[in-house]
Amino acid sequence: MNESNTAAQPAFEPKIVAFMCNWCSYAAADSAGVARFKSPPNVLPVRVMCSGRVSPELILKAFMSGADGVMVLGCHIGDCHYDSGNHRTAKRIPLLRNLLIYMGIEPDRLRLDWVSASESPKFAQVTRDFVDDIRKLGPLDAPFRVPRSPVEGAAREEVLHD
Amino acid sequence: MIEELRTKARELLTDGTVDCVIGYEIAPRGDVRPVFIYDPAEVDRLVFNSRCDHNLVTYLNRRNKPPKRGAPVPTTGIVVKPCDAKSIQVLLNEHQVDRDKVTIIGVACAGMVDATGAPETRCTHCLQRTPLLYDVLLGDPPESVDAADSFDDIEEFDALPPEERRAFWLRELNRCIRCYACRQACPGCFCDVCESERDDSLWIGIADDIPEKAFFHITRAFHLAGRCVECNACELVCPMGIPLSLLNRKIVEEIEHSMGGFRAGISDEPTPLVTKLTGEEEINEVHK
Repeated sequence: MNESNTAAQPAFEPKIVAFMCNWCSYAAADSAGVARFKSPPNVLPVRVMCSGRVSPELILKAFMSGADGVMVLGCHIGDCHYDSGNHRTAKRIPLLRNLLIYMGIEPDRLRLDWVSASESPKFAQVTRDFVDDIRKLGPLDAPFRVPRSPVEGAAREEVLHD
Repeated sequence: MIEELRTKARELLTDGTVDCVIGYEIAPRGDVRPVFIYDPAEVDRLVFNSRCDHNLVTYLNRRNKPPKRGAPVPTTGIVVKPCDAKSIQVLLNEHQVDRDKVTIIGVACAGMVDATGAPETRCTHCLQRTPLLYDVLLGDPPESVDAADSFDDIEEFDALPPEERRAFWLRELNRCIRCYACRQACPGCFCDVCESERDDSLWIGIADDIPEKAFFHITRAFHLAGRCVECNACELVCPMGIPLSLLNRKIVEEIEHSMGGFRAGISDEPTPLVTKLTGEEEINEVHK
């Protein structure tokens, strides 16, 4: 709790939420673990039945609740277990990204990628890259999420009321 | 034209084609307000002028079910401008309204003006002067159209540096009081239980705070992606004057540019966000 006040701040460790589809990406994540490919521990996996299930609400809720980055991983186009679920994702996520750009939020905090069940090395690579990117970006701007500490809450009040 | 409108409304109500005509009347203080006419004797209250900027189609969503079990679905006559007709098309595409239960009284529109008499911004972007969908068309469209179908306002805003855009939206959204008037006024927002008012999931906390307000407005705009007809009803009713059209029109622009020139309410195609990829999209690549 008091780490935000100490002079020597610990290095920023991003919190990442990864929505992964049951049929491809989650299986890839699973086998990446079994095969012991190195991937960062910052990722909180959320298994969904299809990447088409990942509505903008889920992503915004993750950001609002303190995620610094959100990944959406699904089957490659054409390989969807539900035929066309990821077609919706392919349209929806870029639109949300553009909306984030429009509102002045870094769009790189949201990443969409396709990882099939056999691509566990790719899964490890994608998560490593993403965590590195978010580490460079730093924490998500306070106004767009629930404050993590009273200090941060007070700082936000200042931003909003000047 | 007002006489024609009243005659038509009287005819529809007298011969029983419709139970109710939804139109506009002059309110006691001289402004225009929506009116529901059930009695043919009252049709003289109906008016139409360039201040009739409400989108009445939102009331159709409240008249598309039987009032009680076993009762027939009410029939409605409705006065629509070109933008409102697109709203009806969107509702028809989503099977919210039974076309047989609605008699559309289309009116030619020369563009609406705001309280100061200046043309409304949305009307300067609209080329539609007669509704695409109507049973009876009243009035004559103006011969010349002083408008351009462009997204210059959006492009202008987009050209600002990200920090300014962020500060702008923080400032604007911070004013939101979460009264949900934008949602109520929108013909496209017809869910029985709105996600932002569900008490079981707490998608959006009840706090009157920036994350919740931003969440609500992004979600609301996103739910209208490919369905918003730019009637601007949300912005007109906003008590805090938040420029919601900047958000809505951004999505309209994105969809038009990246998904094969789609515009809502023109055809019976559903929003491209619920259909398969056709290969025409410019978005079928991984975004990094």
